[in-house]
Amino acid sequence: MRRRLLPLLIYGLLAVFATLTLTPFAFLVASTVKTKADFVSTLFLPAGDGLFGVGWDRLTGENYRRIFGELHVPRALLNSCFLASVGSLLATLFSAMGGYALAKFRFPGREGIIRLVLAALIIPGPLLIAPGFQNLWRLGLLDTYAGLMLPGLAPAFGVFLFRQTMLNAVPSELIEAARIDGAGEFRIFFTLVFPLVRPMFGAFLMIMFLGIWNDYLGPQIVLQSPELYPLSTTVAMLKNLHWNDYGLVMAGTLVAIAPVMCLFLLLQREFIAGLTSGAVKG
Amino acid sequence: MLRLLSPGLWVILLLAVLSSLLVALLPVTRREGAELWTFLPTSVKHYQPVIDDWNRQHPGAPVTIKLLEYSALQRRMLSGFFAGTPTADLLEIERNIASRAFVGPLDRTGFVDLTDRVRADGLDQEIPAAGFTPWSSRGRIFGLPVGFHPVLLCYRADLVEAAGLDVSQIETWDDYFRVLRPLMADRDGDGHPDRYLISGWNTNGGFLDMLMLQADARLFDDQGRPTLDTPRNAAILARLVPWFAGPDRVAADAPDFSAAGNRQRVEGYVVGTLMPDWLAGAWKTDLPALAGRVKLMPLPAWEPGGRRTSAWGGTMIGIARTAPHVEQQWQLIKALYTSPTLAAANYRDAMIVSPLRRLRSLPFYQEPEPYFGGQRVGQLFIAQVGSMPSRPSSPFFPEAHIYVVNVLTALKQHAESIGRYDAATLEPKARELLAAAQASFVHQVARNPFLLPPP
Repeated sequence: MRRRLLPLLIYGLLAVFATLTLTPFAFLVASTVKTKADFVSTLFLPAGDGLFGVGWDRLTGENYRRIFGELHVPRALLNSCFLASVGSLLATLFSAMGGYALAKFRFPGREGIIRLVLAALIIPGPLLIAPGFQNLWRLGLLDTYAGLMLPGLAPAFGVFLFRQTMLNAVPSELIEAARIDGAGEFRIFFTLVFPLVRPMFGAFLMIMFLGIWNDYLGPQIVLQSPELYPLSTTVAMLKNLHWNDYGLVMAGTLVAIAPVMCLFLLLQREFIAGLTSGAVKG
Repeated sequence: MLRLLSPGLWVILLLAVLSSLLVALLPVTRREGAELWTFLPTSVKHYQPVIDDWNRQHPGAPVTIKLLEYSALQRRMLSGFFAGTPTADLLEIERNIASRAFVGPLDRTGFVDLTDRVRADGLDQEIPAAGFTPWSSRGRIFGLPVGFHPVLLCYRADLVEAAGLDVSQIETWDDYFRVLRPLMADRDGDGHPDRYLISGWNTNGGFLDMLMLQADARLFDDQGRPTLDTPRNAAILARLVPWFAGPDRVAADAPDFSAAGNRQRVEGYVVGTLMPDWLAGAWKTDLPALAGRVKLMPLPAWEPGGRRTSAWGGTMIGIARTAPHVEQQWQLIKALYTSPTLAAANYRDAMIVSPLRRLRSLPFYQEPEPYFGGQRVGQLFIAQVGSMPSRPSSPFFPEAHIYVVNVLTALKQHAESIGRYDAATLEPKARELLAAAQASFVHQVARNPFLLPPP
């Protein structure tokens, strides 16, 4: 009896939490197809005489028509895809390479570099905005994608994370054996080391992708041409200081979160495996 | 190695290749010439035809208008002014941002001093001095105002009329709360009034600023020196406490520009709202459900015969000191801000009334506005322009608001602790709290050597 009740209780609790989690999403989706008048007068779908007591005839696709027709959102979607995919791939690759070098190579100054990476971890990001902006200006990289991507190509957190992963997951004997067999360093990295750290690679890629996709401050500061803006900036600009077209903002928000939600579903295996690798000793 | 990639990694790889190709192929227009930055989408819409005309007439010095998010505009403008990084030649900015740019020596401020140009072109005769004070520092003018922004009281005419109440009897705030008190009845029996008579709270700096300005309870004098600790400020703060606390509480917090606050307005939880002209435009966009159900009236005065309006917000346009062709930019901003066509567009879209005397007689300001029950809204706002309070500018305004909010909150707590809410009892305590706030605030302001009080 107890064995039968326990799963029921667990699933019941999970259903409650799932409902709590999904309610804001339902509100978001419903808001995108409502008129301004219905937005403030009804919580979800507008009441009416239709099926389930909903005024189906009052739903509108106007917000999506404006998002994809009048505003810069399609171009911003492309820009976000470019920045997040290229940026996350390069940052993950360089972090993995940096972490591998710090974990498995002996060279003068290695300890100093590790300390520098650790020190960089404790510096708050906002502290670097002003000097970073000055540097980008002097280098002529303001209002360019290079200016936005270069500072984040080898994040200290990633380098340190991969260093720790390499220390635990990649046996030095394996690398030595490959060298004796005549493999070059790049071949060792891509054919031997990469498969061993693939879960962490997937997890970090996902973290970076989400971070770059949602980055609002960086593009605001570095980019100036509207054609270069990513979705985070473009959606924020749908919101006005003193008045808001909430349906439009909600539609923009949905367009901004939908791609990353799909990607998370695709990458969730790596993401969870990466996060839990090393959690169980075995 | 490729065999090791999961579907997700393949998707990201594919996305990277395809998006790189498309981004490389799609052109990015690099514009030449001057830039105008604004945070108002309506400005982009209205100014673009004028700027297009301007560019045709001045092909050698074209101007581009760019819409920036409010805080991004502030950050870029200030970093441009303080650190010499690139900034626009023309900037249209909101009051809270603008005053932050007026710090430093007068000959090194980020904006060009427009005082002599304003006088030479007679704009000081067209726009009363109170219109320039928010955009001035130490007697020098740094921007042209887009409006005056007089404040009226917007009330739920449908509820008031359904209850058979007559607002024509109202002259003072005391009258307002007395006449409309029946609307606060507890009809649902939950122990609380169904409605509150005014939207605002003791933590809302903008709301307090409007009420204090109306009462000539000022936070700064004309030279920009802090004046928190005055008998008038203490009297007004003491009179405000029973609005928010005690058995006769009349105010409720329906936050401006928020979905929750808008819902409270639609449901009639709050009856009255302090409304500058631009907020009337915002309501028409944000709250279509209130069309025909609200009306405007002059603000109830603090004392019989007192001022029936106040001021809130504002936008200016100024020329950055780094702009290469200042005289040309001056001609452009004059063309933008003195155009009757743009004044009409600004009124129809945002309900903002032009600050220029000669434009205030234009016929569209006389048109009945269906949203506000057919009232001639433009005329109602214009009628208050002559009574508007002067608003000196200070980069320390946000801090001053925090001090006032803290004083009022402490005063409210004091009232609740002693169980007394009458102004006469609370005034000495208000004076005591304001004196402490003034001392701390003056100390803070004195850290900026360029804004020290004149000897």
